[in-house]
Amino acid sequence: MDEARSGLVAVPAGSQELLFEEWKFRPELADTFTSEGSANPVGTDRSTAEIAANSPRYRRRSSTFIDGVHDVPDETNSPMAPAQLYSTMSGRLFHSGRIAIVLVGLPARGKTHISVSLSRYLQWLGVKTRVFHLGDYRRATMGPGVEVPDDYFFINASAASVMIRQKILKKCREDIYAWLNHENGQVAIYDAVNPLANGRRALAKEFARHDVQFVGMDPNEAAKLYLKRIDMKIPYFETMTESDLNFIKMINAGERISYNNVSFGYLSHRIVFYLMNLHIKSRRTFFARAGTSREQDSYKNDAHLSEEGNEYAKNMSETLLEHRKAEREALIASGGSDAPLKPLIVWTSTRKRTVETAKYLEELGYKVRQRSQMSQLNPGVCEKLSENAIRRLYPEEIALHEQDPYHHRYPRAESYHDLAVRLEPIILELEREQSDLLIVAHESVLRVLYGYLMACDAMSIPTLKFPRNEIIEILPASYQNEAKRIKIPGVAPALIPGSPEDIRIPVPPSGFVSPLSGMGTPAMLSGIATPVDSPSSSHFKDTPAPVRLAELAAHQAATASEKPKPDRKPENPLSRD
Amino acid sequence: MELARPSKKTNSVGVQVEDTQICVVMVGLPARGKSLIAQKAQRYLRWLSIDAKVFNVGNYRRHDTPQPTAEFFDTTNVEGERMRRLAAEAAVKDMVAWFKKGGLIGILDATNSSKERRRWIKDAMDAHGIETLYVESKCDDEDLIMSNIREVKTTSPDYVGQDPEEAAKDFRNRIRNYEKVYETIDDEESDLTYLKIMDVGKQVIINRIQDYLQSRVVYYLMNLHIRPRSIWLSRHGESMYNLGGQIGGDADLSERGHEYARRLPELVRKSVGDDRPLTVWTSTLKRTIQTARFLPEHYNQLQWKALDELDSGVCDGMTYAEIKEAYPEDFAARDDDKYNYRYRGGESYRDVVIRLEPIIMELERSEDILIVTHQAVLRCIYAYFMKKDQRESPWLNVPLHTLIKLTPRAYGTLEEFTSSGISAVSTWRGKGSVAKHEEPLSQGNSLGSAGDGGS
Repeated sequence: MDEARSGLVAVPAGSQELLFEEWKFRPELADTFTSEGSANPVGTDRSTAEIAANSPRYRRRSSTFIDGVHDVPDETNSPMAPAQLYSTMSGRLFHSGRIAIVLVGLPARGKTHISVSLSRYLQWLGVKTRVFHLGDYRRATMGPGVEVPDDYFFINASAASVMIRQKILKKCREDIYAWLNHENGQVAIYDAVNPLANGRRALAKEFARHDVQFVGMDPNEAAKLYLKRIDMKIPYFETMTESDLNFIKMINAGERISYNNVSFGYLSHRIVFYLMNLHIKSRRTFFARAGTSREQDSYKNDAHLSEEGNEYAKNMSETLLEHRKAEREALIASGGSDAPLKPLIVWTSTRKRTVETAKYLEELGYKVRQRSQMSQLNPGVCEKLSENAIRRLYPEEIALHEQDPYHHRYPRAESYHDLAVRLEPIILELEREQSDLLIVAHESVLRVLYGYLMACDAMSIPTLKFPRNEIIEILPASYQNEAKRIKIPGVAPALIPGSPEDIRIPVPPSGFVSPLSGMGTPAMLSGIATPVDSPSSSHFKDTPAPVRLAELAAHQAATASEKPKPDRKPENPLSRD
Repeated sequence: MELARPSKKTNSVGVQVEDTQICVVMVGLPARGKSLIAQKAQRYLRWLSIDAKVFNVGNYRRHDTPQPTAEFFDTTNVEGERMRRLAAEAAVKDMVAWFKKGGLIGILDATNSSKERRRWIKDAMDAHGIETLYVESKCDDEDLIMSNIREVKTTSPDYVGQDPEEAAKDFRNRIRNYEKVYETIDDEESDLTYLKIMDVGKQVIINRIQDYLQSRVVYYLMNLHIRPRSIWLSRHGESMYNLGGQIGGDADLSERGHEYARRLPELVRKSVGDDRPLTVWTSTLKRTIQTARFLPEHYNQLQWKALDELDSGVCDGMTYAEIKEAYPEDFAARDDDKYNYRYRGGESYRDVVIRLEPIIMELERSEDILIVTHQAVLRCIYAYFMKKDQRESPWLNVPLHTLIKLTPRAYGTLEEFTSSGISAVSTWRGKGSVAKHEEPLSQGNSLGSAGDGGS
């Protein structure tokens, strides 16, 4: 039932933070670009916009390049997206056919932010989604540094301006249709202003010819005064009231959502569900590990923090507070706002270790909430077994695990996929939260949450690393979230190592080749894409890479001698942390 | 109806919610499908292990005035107004007491037609730290309203034993009385959290959603409609694995299974009627596709991976005797808590419920549907519509070669069974009994009885 559906979806009012953020250059990506093995390495002084602008035959082959949302691989036997429940022959999920989501709204209302967030979420569910930002096409067509003519956005524009406009539109739409018709795309998000009702109707008709459902999204009317200047450039704008079209309207940044439902399917409703939880305020997310526990801890035995664990909790908390203070001072020093910091909320699991790790902050008056869904991956029969014992007892399981560490479940255990599905409510709440957020949880949970925020592909999630001497900070950005590591000084080397506690049998590169080398992960995924050159860690060392979360287990194993040994007894490397 | 909690022993985790408590306040004129929405929301939430309960103000009022006439509802009737106010107070009081005992989502089913009444409820809930979410169903389509009155309201407890035509007339008058004082939710109440559904979901406004649980309730309600329809359920025909007593697998149909497949179009035609368009859903496994293959071409057919049988992991393809032999502890653990027990490397019923959520959403959105699927999946879908207890649903006997028709109504779901008359092996096994399939205790339409089947 891939019947035609098309629709418009409208987007929320703008927030200052998103203004002109789109083309901010992020140096840490440069390394990821080169590690893709591109023939045309990206220099440190070039942004994606410039790359786009300098490619006369620019064609959107992947969103990954632009907004960091990892593509869902094409092959039918390829791994599924992180929280994908099932797959279909057509590649389209939820029997929803193909949908075009057309954004409607003046600049600076957060259209791009919504497009990218929505795309990240849908990809997470396994729905093949791609955002087509018309701005990319405009910049690519005009060339670097060339502005569009002054009357470009006017209804009565000159013939020359209309020509340019048509050319740009055509290029973008051709890409959309090519992707939907020939590349198995399911949801195309068309990020442009689309100010006029007539234009939107024509667009809906055009999509209908391609068997695509149209959903419009429209921002609110309560434009702030300072936006007037931008609005002047696009003087004609009609908010969506077309009762014959599907549309979703978000007013005051999602405070009120209304929609007109002509032919909504499961997926359209799901999108509304997601939008109900999305906001466009900028806030940070921090990830930290729990301290170590006193004795023989295990999944069943919920132990208290040890002396060092408590020490670590204090140390970690102080580092975080210090960091927040320093960031604010730096901002003020560079002429930024001197507004007070956003409130900080702490989420922990219900395990004693994580709760006690948050205690220091709680005593300082920070709000701490426990989330039962955030308990660690259930290790099943592997609990308390050493790696050797697992290898001896479950050789077939080991083989299966090595083939697909993301979906494989040890007997009675949860797979990472199970964990991702279980964490979905947390993901929506994560989107909903407006305060800065510190998440203290087991490494397996951090992997999955990080995998969502950074749009990692499923295969890299089980190998992400969160050593105890670092706090991860995720900064939201319009096109791609950014991850930073904050060093916690003075953590005893014994406490640092990743997770010998997890069921993480070192998995050698399994031969899985990511078509896009995991650019969603700001990490050394080249190891997965090209197992051949990954063990040589030389370029890892040279990189000033801010984040290096996805090092391969094999790589870890190879360099284990350089790392401090865990102080755990070797016969019990798998107990939980 | 107690919810089965996951335990360590069964190694399972379900949908768990935050500690917020929500009072869902229905708003709308009579015959706008409020009770239907309230009942469905309760059923859905409980199916997902979220504790929910409907408090129907009408039932409190009926206690004192069992069969009121239209005059009772005239707002100028001071005594009637006083009685309704008392009923609302009693319902709210009981609800707060229920929240105190740990209830999560209470649904206040009444017209709540004035701004004053809505504000009063908000203040009462605020005082106990309980969130309010108003759900207004607004519909001006006369045809829909009248069909709702005829279909649903004349069977309501208010009119037991009365002439249907009289009852419908009385009801029409009752609505008029309400219409005089009805105030829709508007901008004056923009501080409230509300969901306003107009013309059965054609237009929807969602205002000030405060947390995830609210968004989840709203999401479900968005998918509902109140158009009359039925759902037909059938297991696949008897398979080669059924013959051998094996579970799981992807086997072909047996000879008798093929016979059922050939008989199915006639069974369906008799139950559905000739002119109703029907959509057929199957799983992606051979036995359901083979079962549905003779159905008329003009039926739209879809295969859902989510309808595949419960994954029995390492036990796939084994008989119960073999499982008991190979995994005696697991066998006992499963009998002990079948809902939460997860097969090694496979799934539990709880897992199946989670993966069926998109199916339930799609079912709620759709009209007439025939689902050809597997025993465990069918049990979960059946449990959803028939409000079966989680401790009971995994033990239901779902006979092979039988067509089940479910028709959701405001006061419950009607069920109807049609046997094809083609015999088949039993795939049912009683709790704590021998490790093999046996004849069900009660024959025939025994979905409601205790028993165990294939997986």
